[in-house]
This record gives sequence, C-alpha cells and structure tokens, in this order.
Amino acid sequence: MKTAALLLTLLLAGCATGEATLGTLAPAGRLAASVVPGRTTKAELLATFGKTKSIVFDSGYETWLYQSPAGGGRFSEFVVLIDPQGIVAKTRQRAPSTP
Amino acid sequence: MAQQPAATVNVRTTRDPVDKSYRKMIAGMERFAREHAFAPDAPLRFQLLPRSPDVKMDGIKLRVAGDTVSVPVPIAPDNSFVLPRNEQALREDAAVLANRKTVSMTWRALIRTPGLPPDTRRLGDLRLECRVGTEAGLVSNNSQMFAWLSNALTSADQVCNSPEGNYLFFADRPLFGVRLRAGARVEELPFKMLYAGGNQTPEMLRFCDCQVLLDRTYYAPIWDKSWPDDTLVEFDYMTDAAPAANVQETVQ
Repeated sequence: MKTAALLLTLLLAGCATGEATLGTLAPAGRLAASVVPGRTTKAELLATFGKTKSIVFDSGYETWLYQSPAGGGRFSEFVVLIDPQGIVAKTRQRAPSTP
Repeated sequence: MAQQPAATVNVRTTRDPVDKSYRKMIAGMERFAREHAFAPDAPLRFQLLPRSPDVKMDGIKLRVAGDTVSVPVPIAPDNSFVLPRNEQALREDAAVLANRKTVSMTWRALIRTPGLPPDTRRLGDLRLECRVGTEAGLVSNNSQMFAWLSNALTSADQVCNSPEGNYLFFADRPLFGVRLRAGARVEELPFKMLYAGGNQTPEMLRFCDCQVLLDRTYYAPIWDKSWPDDTLVEFDYMTDAAPAANVQETVQ
C-alpha cells in the first residue's frame, strides 16, 4: 500500500514534473561578476551566495541554480556547472520569464 | 501395428508482461505514417537506451516473439532499429524482446530529419517522437502499477499536447543548456525543463526511465504551437565532444 501511494504520488508528480524550481536569490550583476569559469570553486560559491537548488549527477558534475529578481514578479536564472574537481566549469544566464 | 504419430508439443514463449507489445509498436508506426507531416523528411527508427546503471549496451539481441513466430530484429551500433512488419506476429500478439532484463533499458522513437546543424534537433521531429513513442508504449517508468496508471491516464494526444505531459527526451550527451531558435526568436529553456524537472530524489529516480540518463534529459515545448515544427532545438553540452579516436585501419 505504501508502494502504491508512492507510485501514485510519482504519477501525479509526473515522474519528473515540472513543479517550479526556485534557486536562492542573488543580484544578477554580482553573480556575473563573481563567478568565473575555471577559477571559482564550489566552496567560494557556497560562501558567497549560499546553498541553492542543485543537482549532483553520477558523473560528479553538478548544476546549481540561482535566481535574480527582475521586477514585475519575474526572475532571471543564473546556472552554474561545477566539475567533479569542484571548480566552476561553465555558467549561463536566462532572461526573466513571464510570471 | 501402425506407428503412433509423434506427439507435438507447442512451447509457448514465456513473456515478461512489461516487454514491449508488438501490436502497440506497430500502432506507433501507423501513427508515424498518419502524422508524417510533422517531420516529412525523417525516417522512423526505435532506440534502446540504458535505464539501470549496470546494463551492458553492447551486443544486444532483439526479436519479435509470438506463440510460434520468432523474428530477429537487426540492431545498429547506436542500438536503434527498424521494426519489421509481420502479420503472423500481429495475429499472435507478439512481444518485442531484448536479451536484457526488461527494467534495465528504456525505449524511444527516433525521428531525425537529415542534414540539421550539429548539436540540434528539430521540434517537429520531437513532436512526432512523442506521438509515436506514447502510442507505441515505449516509456518505461515501471513498476507495472506505475505503467498501468500511466496508461489509464494518458493518451498520446494528452501527453504530447499538454505542458503537463512530461514526455522526456534524451540528448546524445550531458546537457548544460537548451535553446529554441525559430527565425529571429530565440529562447533558452528554463532550468525546470532540464534534468527531468530537477526535483527527482534518489528514491523517485529509480522509478523513472531517466534514472541513468538524468543529465541528458530535457522537456521540449512540443505542446506550444507558437513554435513551428522547423524550430531548432540547440544543445549546449556540459563538456566538449571527445576528439575522434585516432584509428589505424588494419588490413587482415
């Protein structure tokens, strides 16, 4: 029964559903200026901007999501790729979405 | 005394109830034919993908197995294949079986318009993959109960025309970003459309057929008609492609 309840929950959640993910808020300009691929470490990211929404993959890579208020209830995204050695490998920004 | 005829024993194939139904896969192929306009230049293949961490994806053998019929299905190096039509297998409600544990792999339709730029897919191809894949019953979010509930609640039209359809696509390599491009209109997909929504716990992940492909997983806005079929879906991968191996040909 417990399993059935879990399965139903998963189904309703969509085995992957798109419930809104929300990263820790940080100013966009500060993120762009501070997070440098090839140099910034995971520890520095954590110390500067705090723990946030993240996914750790079997490969050892991690993706971290920060968000920045953009007015009108909208948020931009700042996504960080951290390599298995704990160094920022890449970053990308996504323009604010509509609420 | 006349010799008695030898007794005939029909050995029926033992089927795992979650192996793929040949009839359903043929129904998927028929849907492809009906809705080929989504991807008019693309052929239809199916593909096997890893679902459990320890599955060996080399040397897979595939066959269509009915009560009396067994048809081998050739598999390409990328584990894709074309499913042959066989009337007897249809009559016998055959299964499509691989020589791997059922739960160790997942299946998808593979519809790729030739000649696209590198590291891109075409949205119309993905729309048709969803329709064919769902019609053919390929998604393997098993347990069986999960599959039953999924089938009860979702048709291909529901899955592929709704933002809540959650049809997962897999890129060729681990993804960092996905961008849509249709003429001058360019948009990045939000984080929640990558990695199966980004909210899978390890406990949930083992029920999802994205279990070992999580970093290659994305949703595409196939339901959003404001993006035309010719929209390019561009991939930014986590790492650069490995350089091609320096292969020396050896003449035997």
